[in-house]
Amino acid sequence: MKSTSSIRPWRLAALALALAVIVANPLINFFCQNHFVQGWYQSIAVGELWFVSPLEGLESILVAKAVYAPAFIGMIAPLTLAFLLGRVFCSWICPLTLLLEIVDWLRRRLGGKKRPSAHSEIVPRWTLWLVLPAELLISMVLGAPLFVIFSPPGLIGRELMMLVFFRALAMEGLLLLALIALELFSRRLFCRCLCPLGALLALTGGKRRLRVQLQADACVDCGRCAKTCPLGLRPQTDQAASIYCWNCGDCVDCCPSQALRFRWR
Amino acid sequence: MKRRDTLSLILGAALATWLAAPGAAWATAGRWFSPIRRNRLRPPGAVAEAQFLARCIRCGRCLEVCPYHAIVMLDIRHALHAGTPLIAVENIPCYLCMKCVAVCPTGSLRPIGQKETRMGLAVIDHYSCLAWRGDTLCRTCYDKCPFANVAIRLEQLRPVIDEGACVGCGLCVNACPITVAEDGGKAINIEPVYAGNAA
Repeated sequence: MKSTSSIRPWRLAALALALAVIVANPLINFFCQNHFVQGWYQSIAVGELWFVSPLEGLESILVAKAVYAPAFIGMIAPLTLAFLLGRVFCSWICPLTLLLEIVDWLRRRLGGKKRPSAHSEIVPRWTLWLVLPAELLISMVLGAPLFVIFSPPGLIGRELMMLVFFRALAMEGLLLLALIALELFSRRLFCRCLCPLGALLALTGGKRRLRVQLQADACVDCGRCAKTCPLGLRPQTDQAASIYCWNCGDCVDCCPSQALRFRWR
Repeated sequence: MKRRDTLSLILGAALATWLAAPGAAWATAGRWFSPIRRNRLRPPGAVAEAQFLARCIRCGRCLEVCPYHAIVMLDIRHALHAGTPLIAVENIPCYLCMKCVAVCPTGSLRPIGQKETRMGLAVIDHYSCLAWRGDTLCRTCYDKCPFANVAIRLEQLRPVIDEGACVGCGLCVNACPITVAEDGGKAINIEPVYAGNAA
């Protein structure tokens, strides 16, 4: 099928660039002793501009019961991004997404079975709204933030750093293998239903400006978008405008009648 | 059939306990079993140990900027302390460049200066120290101390620590030629006395 727009190459380029940053970072820090850019997607610094992942920052504030201004200020830019554009961190930056895109691609290359559906209701979609408070509550009970240890994008950054700095891997990286294995059963199950950071970003982007808008009169109801959507949404019923959409644009790309478009409101 | 059910119930319960008990112990271990002990220290400016666990977001930036690669990152074997930074001073001590305290985004490492640093306190084992035993005129720790004549003084050719000035950087530990066989410590060690209820 002829695609009518091409957002996907840009998104893959953004994902590759985002991964390249956290691959190059430890190498430059370790071998060149240049610390202009530090960290990965838990906290990353570009010169004196510091970013802090909103959930990690929130956990730190809630569990430590203290607000530290640099952490708070570092959260502003990511939250603004999510407020305006929605969960674009997940679909355009998160290295786990790139990893799972590669898994998708491998599966297509190996030509094997049909990819598992993202529409499975084994875990209902609203689980996303449970994991965020649950994760925060458990962290506060334990007195130690949990997502900072197990955040998949954080783990990828940490393992890359460990590889460069210590020629070793941290054992918690096994979680990444588990997430890849999960992909054999259900598409993006973790991102869709279980990621507390995704939940926080989705919540922040609930009234986002950038949305995929359905032009109902142009829709030919082919259902291609629903098959493409990695989150198992049905854009032909305007679900791409819902709070769950992460604005990856795959449905916009695959729509043969251009009924789905990104709109800035 | 009934007996088999009972058996599998008992086995199941045993298995669940066997799996859950270490799990529960493991979940709480982080709070009680801090990795901070003799010669295993947080980087400069660290808040008290319980606060550190809560504040640190495990971003690894302190470790990336450390020019001496003195800071290592703990992994999941240290339970809830996974991802936090640690300095093992007998491997690589802290040279007090203070780069890490300047990049911490959460205030786990407070932006302080060299002299306010209190990673721990050097303690000399008088039974192992060559100078104190009277074996040789060793003054390695005195020579290596970044605050020589202040944090470590020589009294009658024997090293003496000044509690008020020692920052606990561990340069002395790293240089000390004596390794005590029993516990793997040196004749001079850094005790994390400022880390709160750490050990």
